[in-house]
Amino acid sequence: MFKRLIASRSARPALAILAVVALLVALGPLLTPQDPLAQNPYALLEGPSARHWLGTDAFGRDVLSRLLAGSPVSILASLLSVAIGLVLGVVPGLLSVFLSRTFEWISLRLVDALMTLPFLVFAVAMTAMLGNGLGQAMFAVGILITPVFYRVGRAAALAVVNAEYVEAARLMGASTAFIIRRHVLAKVLPAVAVTTAAMTGACLSIVASLTFLGIGVVPPEPTWGGLLATDLTTLYERPYGPFAPGLLIVATVWAMNALADALRDLTAPPQEHWA
Amino acid sequence: MSTVAVQPSSAVAPPAPVRRPRKASRWQVLRSLALIVVPVFVAATLITFLLGQASGLDPAAGVAGDAASPEMVARIRHDFGLDRPVAIQYLAWMAGLARGDFGVSWFNGVPVAHLIAQRLPISLSVAGAALVIGVVLGSVLGIAAAVRRGSWLDRGVTAFASLASALPPFVVAIVLILVFSLWLNLLPAAGYIPFSEDPAGWLRIIAIPAAALSVDIVADLSRQLRTGLVTALSENYVTGAVVRGLSPRRILFVHVLRNGAGPALSVLALRVPMLIGGAVVTETIFTMPGIGKMAADSALRGDVPVVQGTLVVSILIVLACNLVINLLLGLLQPATRRKD
Repeated sequence: MFKRLIASRSARPALAILAVVALLVALGPLLTPQDPLAQNPYALLEGPSARHWLGTDAFGRDVLSRLLAGSPVSILASLLSVAIGLVLGVVPGLLSVFLSRTFEWISLRLVDALMTLPFLVFAVAMTAMLGNGLGQAMFAVGILITPVFYRVGRAAALAVVNAEYVEAARLMGASTAFIIRRHVLAKVLPAVAVTTAAMTGACLSIVASLTFLGIGVVPPEPTWGGLLATDLTTLYERPYGPFAPGLLIVATVWAMNALADALRDLTAPPQEHWA
Repeated sequence: MSTVAVQPSSAVAPPAPVRRPRKASRWQVLRSLALIVVPVFVAATLITFLLGQASGLDPAAGVAGDAASPEMVARIRHDFGLDRPVAIQYLAWMAGLARGDFGVSWFNGVPVAHLIAQRLPISLSVAGAALVIGVVLGSVLGIAAAVRRGSWLDRGVTAFASLASALPPFVVAIVLILVFSLWLNLLPAAGYIPFSEDPAGWLRIIAIPAAALSVDIVADLSRQLRTGLVTALSENYVTGAVVRGLSPRRILFVHVLRNGAGPALSVLALRVPMLIGGAVVTETIFTMPGIGKMAADSALRGDVPVVQGTLVVSILIVLACNLVINLLLGLLQPATRRKD
């Protein structure tokens, strides 16, 4: 699977970008040339120089160091929210096909309800009201993306449950648990892989938006979104400021989306493109 | 969501414009929609209400300050009705909503309905303008790409859609501010002017935020419309229509668009909640006093009724938009009504 992914032409640039991002996450905080929190009143809003490659912000903090130090939080927070959404979405989605009709009806309405909530407003409200913190933010985003995973799990299970080979298995006395393990999961996993890649991109963008608003992470701690927020306040002095964090966010999100598309091309027949 | 998941299969849809739908079937549509919309509304408001409960926040701190005595806290809680059982509180809150009573702000005692009514037009004008830009531009690009499949235009639209879907609205907003206010000095980058005061100024001030919010919609809509139309264009009835000598324009706009627009419309319905949610970011960037910014500020202050009221209003708008889009889908493609 991975070999085929590398072989596919469209996935290669995406994988290259993601490799760089993974390096930033693993090593970023170790590579910071200066203390990301150290303020220097003698070097406010400086342009790029040999000492400060990306210049300094309004407090004289080294922007490159802040960018590197903020990488793990920005990426890991979105990965964790995707994990929460995946578990809380796929499992009920699968079960909605196999358990009672009451469970199906209730879970479907709950999912519909979650989808009518205005995403960012609700994420902001939930995080702030549950005590502004990264854990709350990841939980809020995770809950709000469960409908996507729910529908993927449910669609895959629905596609299998009436297939003849499943009927045959059932006639031979296979239990529901066995059918889910043996037949449904095989059908679900590719679809889940595609959705996970796509949602990781989406969550990156959402987490960046939240940290941009100062939600989830308390200000002095650097994040990619938070860096953009400080850049916005000093746009007149440093108009080039937003480019580095902005480019990192956009490139990572694009790479995840491209990876999702490549995975989809590999796993699904072309007709299911807009399912 | 199942209110919008009526995925039309273009293969089933009849090729030619079909007879006006009969009254009975339209009622059935409304009934089946009501069966979905009402439980969804109840569930969504329940989630909203429980969020306030889970927060454990209390008006006493805001009203009485840190030095409040236990008796005072208890009295304030009683005044706000917070000493009643949760279920009763929920029912009382819902009954209030039905009367248009959203409670009062814990922070300054102003009725929430009043606060929302003041700020809603601001958010709606930005979201509405974004929707118009998104639908117009998305349709034009999507149709053009589908008709000229494989051309540079098609590849350009596809590349744009792939890049644009990776652009968070706040990044787009910053880029647009840089270009249009900082460098070209054409448009203002902050504030708000009501339409009634100065229509031209209103348009100038909502231009950047609306454009920033519309990028997502343009990308999504053009992509879905292209896919839907390309599928529809390869159907047998299109070949039949060509053979019968129908003009390409008639085939595209009367037959193909009708059958190929389904997925795009469904996607549009899914985009509405994001559009309203996006208001938080744009209103913060452009310092516009809309409901998104109010919800974020109130959430950070722990002003539960204001947050809940904003969420309920947003949910109502989303449900209304979904209803409209579903009815549109039904009118456009009578075949979708056969299900359910």
